[in-house]
Amino acid sequence: MRLEIDWTRCDGHGLCARLLPERIGLDDAGFPVLGDRMVEGDDLTHARRAVSACPRLALRLERAPTPAPR
Amino acid sequence: MTTTPLRGAGTHVDTWPPVWVLGAAHVLAGTSGGRLDLSAHRETHGLPRRRDRDELVRDAQAVRLVGRGGAAFPVATKLAGVPVGSRTHVLVNGSEGEPASHKDRTLMRLAPHLVLDGALAVARALETRRVTVAVGDAASYWSLRNALDERPDGDGVRVASHRHGFVGGEIRAVARAMSGDVARPPGRRVLPTVHGVDGRPTFASNVETFAQLAVLLGRGVDAFASVGDPDEPGTTLLTLIGDVDHPGVVEVPTGLPLSAVVGERVGPLLVGGYHGTWIAGPGDLVLSRPALRTAGAPLNAGVLARLPHDTCALGEVAAVSRWLAGESAAQCGPCFFGLPSMADSVGRLCAGEDVRSDIARRVGLLPGRGACAHPDGSAAFVRSALAAMPDEVDAHLRNRGCGRPVRRALPVGVRAA
Repeated sequence: MRLEIDWTRCDGHGLCARLLPERIGLDDAGFPVLGDRMVEGDDLTHARRAVSACPRLALRLERAPTPAPR
Repeated sequence: MTTTPLRGAGTHVDTWPPVWVLGAAHVLAGTSGGRLDLSAHRETHGLPRRRDRDELVRDAQAVRLVGRGGAAFPVATKLAGVPVGSRTHVLVNGSEGEPASHKDRTLMRLAPHLVLDGALAVARALETRRVTVAVGDAASYWSLRNALDERPDGDGVRVASHRHGFVGGEIRAVARAMSGDVARPPGRRVLPTVHGVDGRPTFASNVETFAQLAVLLGRGVDAFASVGDPDEPGTTLLTLIGDVDHPGVVEVPTGLPLSAVVGERVGPLLVGGYHGTWIAGPGDLVLSRPALRTAGAPLNAGVLARLPHDTCALGEVAAVSRWLAGESAAQCGPCFFGLPSMADSVGRLCAGEDVRSDIARRVGLLPGRGACAHPDGSAAFVRSALAAMPDEVDAHLRNRGCGRPVRRALPVGVRAA
């Protein structure tokens, strides 16, 4: 699974960075900076917790790699 | 190589842009006297061959046609990915939200029937009648509307005004606006081929792409590919800005040395417009989308610019980065906050403050963090500018400036409301 952010939804609450600090940091304005996006195995539990904690439903776990926009 | 001034040669102020053809005229054929009405158009281009979808895919594949808006996606692949049927839409993007680019509005003004021939041929191949042309300026709008009045087959074509800036001209934002929604790229990565105008499958591409398709169907594969580079046969439209041999809109065969197109003078060259890449000079680069992409300087919508020697180069870069910041659709935080911060830092560098590491950090935080490629493209513009202009940066750091005024050689226009 792959972590994705809908940037049009994200308001920079920052809960994801607290719940998943090994993968998500925050920039100066408080918006998430993603490290390794691919999540597998035991890490999925933590990632799912972060996804469900996002108050804007901006953070998602997606199955397939998303196609490039055109 | 012959140089044929078509219109307004030498009178840049009143009739910008002058229009030129270097070599073979394809999309601009016959326009030296101005706009082609329907009979002049048919005399020049004939009737496009009728093609079903599979045949059109084969033709587009045979000439390796790629989209002329920016992403340079293969037309054949995109066509093959759209279902055939009356639900499918054809969307012609003529919004041209980049103030440096004028090729699309030039084409719509001079050869509206060619654009419509292309759009209607695609619609016929896809067995649909739903065609929308989104247009950003009044001259193009009326040129197309008048063209539709002249044609017997233009009933189903909608021409819609679309003035929503740089980001609003991104194809998914246009598709959304044409569906009655806001003119902003969607946050989820939906493809127009699946979810386009009115939520329906949509073949969407740039104005020039449709004109090139019309040339392809008018002349056939062999004649289309009789000029240009084997990598990307045919011609391409460019907008040339600043200290170049032929400023204005120019049609050229692909495969020419870049130096033949922009001239041999020294100075950094901007390839691909305001989401593009500054390079130290044309070197031995060749003008074709595949070659330039491989070289790390994608052609995008075809803007090439070289700054005149009497303007402050870094100041020009700062002005464009401020403009890019203002063009954020304000829907994604990293872009809305990150682009103004980056522009401020470029301004401080202009004033002689050594904020290079700060700029590098801010530039590095932009790519991949938005609904569209605006943060990525803006970051590439600034990063490559500083890399291609080390002497300018040094001059500003040593002397708090280069002594030249900012002449606004790079147009930034007024943001659409």
